[in-house]
Amino acid sequence: MADVTRKVTQRILNSQKSRKMPVKIAPVQLVLLAAVIVLLIAFPFFPFVNNYWIDVGFFVGIYVLLGLSLNIVLGEVGLFDLGHAAFYAIGAYTTGILYVKLHVPILALLPISAIVAGGFAYLVTSPIIHLRGDYLCIVTIGIGEIVRITALNNPFGLTNGPNGVTGIGNPDLGLFAIRTPTHFYYYIWVIIALVIIGLLNLQKSRVGRAWNFIREDEIAAEANGIDVRSYKLLAFVLGAALAGIAGNIYASKMMVISPDNFTFMESCLLFCIVLLGGLGSIPGNMLGAAAIVIFPEIFRQFASYKLLFFGAALVVMMIFRPGGIWPRRREGVGFRGLGISGLPKDENEFLLKIPKEAVLVPHGADPAQSTTVKAEVAQEKTINNIVLETQNVTMQFGGLVAVNHFDLKIREGKITSLIGPNGAGKTTLFNVITGIYRPTTGKVIFMGKDITGLKPHTIIAKGIARTFQNIRLFPSLTCIENVMSGPHCHAHSGTWSSILRLPVQKKEERKILEIASYRLNQVGLWEYRNELAKNLPYGKQRLLEIARALATSPKLLVLDEPSSGLNDKETEELMEFLKSLITEGFTLLLIEHDMNVVMGISDWVTVMDMGSKIAEGPPSEIYNNPRVIEAYLGKEE
Amino acid sequence: MGTLLSVENLVVNYGAVEALKGISLEMQEGDIVAVLGANGAGKTTLLKAISRLVHIRSGTIKLRGEDLSKFPAHQLASIGVAHVPEGRKVFATLTVEENLNLGTWGVRNQINAQEIQKTKEWIFRLFPVLRERRRQLAGTLSGGEQQMLAIGRGLISKPKILLLDEPSLGLAPILVQEIFRVIRQIHDEEGVSILLVEQNARKALGVARYGYILETGKIAIHGPAAQLKEDERVKAAYLGGTRVQPAK
Amino acid sequence: MRIFLEQFLNGLTIGSFYALVALGYSMVYGVMKLINFAHGDLFALGSYLGYTVLVIGAGWITQVLGVWGGVAVALTAAMLGIGIAGLVVERIAYRPVYKAGRLPLVVSALGMSIFISNGIMAIWGPRFQAYPPDAIPSAILSFGDIKITVIKLVTLIVSLGLMALIYWMVEKTLFGAAVRATALDRDTATLMGIDFRKIILFVFFVGPALGAMAGVFAGLNYGRIIFNLGWTYGLKAFTATILGGIGNIPGAMIGGLLLGVMESLFEGFVSGAWKSVFVFLVLIAILIVRPTGLIGEKVAEKV
Repeated sequence: MADVTRKVTQRILNSQKSRKMPVKIAPVQLVLLAAVIVLLIAFPFFPFVNNYWIDVGFFVGIYVLLGLSLNIVLGEVGLFDLGHAAFYAIGAYTTGILYVKLHVPILALLPISAIVAGGFAYLVTSPIIHLRGDYLCIVTIGIGEIVRITALNNPFGLTNGPNGVTGIGNPDLGLFAIRTPTHFYYYIWVIIALVIIGLLNLQKSRVGRAWNFIREDEIAAEANGIDVRSYKLLAFVLGAALAGIAGNIYASKMMVISPDNFTFMESCLLFCIVLLGGLGSIPGNMLGAAAIVIFPEIFRQFASYKLLFFGAALVVMMIFRPGGIWPRRREGVGFRGLGISGLPKDENEFLLKIPKEAVLVPHGADPAQSTTVKAEVAQEKTINNIVLETQNVTMQFGGLVAVNHFDLKIREGKITSLIGPNGAGKTTLFNVITGIYRPTTGKVIFMGKDITGLKPHTIIAKGIARTFQNIRLFPSLTCIENVMSGPHCHAHSGTWSSILRLPVQKKEERKILEIASYRLNQVGLWEYRNELAKNLPYGKQRLLEIARALATSPKLLVLDEPSSGLNDKETEELMEFLKSLITEGFTLLLIEHDMNVVMGISDWVTVMDMGSKIAEGPPSEIYNNPRVIEAYLGKEE
Repeated sequence: MGTLLSVENLVVNYGAVEALKGISLEMQEGDIVAVLGANGAGKTTLLKAISRLVHIRSGTIKLRGEDLSKFPAHQLASIGVAHVPEGRKVFATLTVEENLNLGTWGVRNQINAQEIQKTKEWIFRLFPVLRERRRQLAGTLSGGEQQMLAIGRGLISKPKILLLDEPSLGLAPILVQEIFRVIRQIHDEEGVSILLVEQNARKALGVARYGYILETGKIAIHGPAAQLKEDERVKAAYLGGTRVQPAK
Repeated sequence: MRIFLEQFLNGLTIGSFYALVALGYSMVYGVMKLINFAHGDLFALGSYLGYTVLVIGAGWITQVLGVWGGVAVALTAAMLGIGIAGLVVERIAYRPVYKAGRLPLVVSALGMSIFISNGIMAIWGPRFQAYPPDAIPSAILSFGDIKITVIKLVTLIVSLGLMALIYWMVEKTLFGAAVRATALDRDTATLMGIDFRKIILFVFFVGPALGAMAGVFAGLNYGRIIFNLGWTYGLKAFTATILGGIGNIPGAMIGGLLLGVMESLFEGFVSGAWKSVFVFLVLIAILIVRPTGLIGEKVAEKV
């Protein structure tokens, strides 16, 4: 490895000695957590608490559950869902109808309601999941209304129209039935406790991170190996299933459900819970739900004004605390915020202990299960040392030909630069290679295989990683979390193994952290690991993006103007660093405007102008090529 | 002829990045001045700073001795600054004529309709294709035509100074030729003062009287255009001559 | 045939309400990229303002100025009042939140919506209020066996006329070009000398004022109004906005009229109870085929 990297590492490690490390779990938080649990358990026994207030406690629970369920969709993934009451309704009606018509026991209906609601969500959202922001919003509103009106219209005599389904039974545990307000109170809070444990595990796992990546930047997520569509659907299905559970519990408590319980207003309230609490924050959610239920209770004597105050309170809240009451804090909590077990207390110790072979896995192999140590990244056969080849690629947008019959060859272990004046079509070609565009004609061959038209997240798993011209990080996630998106595409643990924290999942998580830590340190950003990406200075953000790309263990690294926005010194360091990557076994393709960089480090330069190749060769040849000079400086008058 | 524009010690930051690190330049009435440099050198930022689209950290910009910082951005058009932005930025779903007419928005209370009509006729003479396509949506024009429209939109207000940002960007060579011919014509016929930002150094120095070369936010070289054309350092600034390695 | 024509006219009437309200959503969205969820409630508030004008002093205004005079005063007062209310809403609920991003804005808008609808309830009560029958023009015209109330005809003519006026203003005048230019690209519009703050004031005044007009006409046509009127109409109008392509002025008008006619015809020939389901299904189907609405522009994110 190049000297620089070592020097950088040394510098970083030195600088860290002065920094305090947050290693222990703050005792205050533990005490607080214990206090909340004790309070919740003891609540029904407080002297002033009558059955009315116990029921309020139950309804807070229902809204906590609903808030948590919407939080998956809206908070974790950022999907604009204003029709969530639909899934709640599906759960409640499933319970009501199946109990009344077929006498299925209420408890058995708990999972059934969840499955039906989840299945319904899958069916209705899969055709529309690609819609953006406001369009998705109106469609979810539409789904909410369709479900409510359907229930109102009493199809096949199932829903009993506006009167609703009546005569729903209470849950029966066999030994005793859940009947009194106190029973229900404990019943829902036990379920909430289980759900929260599961959600916490999920939040701090590969799945939860993938959701957050999508929320932060969908395109960057896709380009870093996240299957955006599947994860969005998963969020809807899980969120709907949880809402279905809430529906079941609600139905069994009220013994009657009607369309009035599932209005657009209800969906709006859920939306407000999530935002009042703070996006993606579980404690925030609980506070938000409590606020929504208790606020109107406190203003009960002003009956007709209570919602007036509530509306005003929402506005005031958003003016003064737009991030919510208790936003999820990510920065400064250290690695323990990642929820990975068995880490040493000192994060530096963790870094130093990373076995080198853990990082240098051949791409495409499973880092968690790979036992064979490979020092070299390259494993696949390359034909004549060609890693990537575009054959006759043409990309048209309407009448505009952005890339015109372009052939590009990239040789293994070399730095190839693609240069050309602004608007020459470089970035377009780039987007064709990385799968964002499908070429109008022509093929992209990678390691001897045709990858034309594959989705970006598939291409990255095959070994092509990229960075973006305008830097697309996940701004509100920490640096280490950003880099942890890299190994995602080679890992496998899914929803259940994450919720249950299976040993194989724990091992995989650790591996992901090892790779991410290694790469973060390699670019010299280890000391910033727990800072939010958006708080880094621009030059460091560039490096972070490169670290993230490296963490996918690519064969080919494609960099779009890596030096833009860097100062001279940073550019110099970047060049050294890029050269060091070659010795590590990577192959590089650069789009670059800074000719100093191009001429300084390229092995091969391809020049593009007006979508076509006008020259290629080693830098010294290109520098004196009259056509290139003409393309850059213009024609001699 | 007096000083039209003077920029002193201009510093602009984007977040933590220093985009302009203390730039000073001057321009006479009726002049064409070229600002050249590689991508990311800060050329566009300089123009945006003059039009106050970006926040100025420090330094002054004066037009005919008047400090521009006392005007909000939307008033600059009315005091004679026309900016033809990089990438043309025509309003794609508005017609060609609407685009041109919007160019008069800032001065609509200063110039009467006849005068505007006269200027419009002149623009249509410069770019006959715009007359043919006046009812077409601007987004359906080709790149070159959009550039002509953007220039026309800037000219129609009869500005004291025309800021032209990369007019040759992404155009075919024949169109680049055409655009530069027109830039010269604009200057010769109506004496419009032009601050020209360009990547195409030779073309720009061909029409300009004076040139500034920016490198990472600083002015690296400046001098009369004729002199810069022969300067080896200009080529080096563009093609990175300082670091060329021997072929491996 | 008679049923078809009557339903078609009914559809056009309600469609013109949707269209007028949709214009407000679309104008604000076009310039601010903000869904003004309070817009439907401003519509309802407009309806109540018109109602108040007509019931003051036991219908004093109608007595003095005659039925049509009363209608004119009610419309003017509601439009002015709600136009100003729109500016107030922008000032207190949106402007302080712009910087915080889109989601907090949505919550602020929902909060404002709840505030206004419950404010209406606090002032005018939770029950239906009836527009005074004396204040509603009652003449009925017959064309063959098709009967139409004069107020409905006037509603249609005035609404469509006003829409034509707005269309002309936004699509054909220099000022309209400035509004559209600001919606497309605020920076470049600023270079033209356009002060976007003035454009914001324009859309937040005119949009709600149009909604208020629809509100008064709805009261005059259907006779009764209720505090949460804004939710139902607002939701439909918002659907119409998206159907046409949000941020697009002709789109909002076409979307509104189309929605009203579709709904009415479905109600007349298939089922009234399922009409909203039908409308939403059509919307979803259209969005699957055309993800940005009927006349929506193609938006491609530059990578």
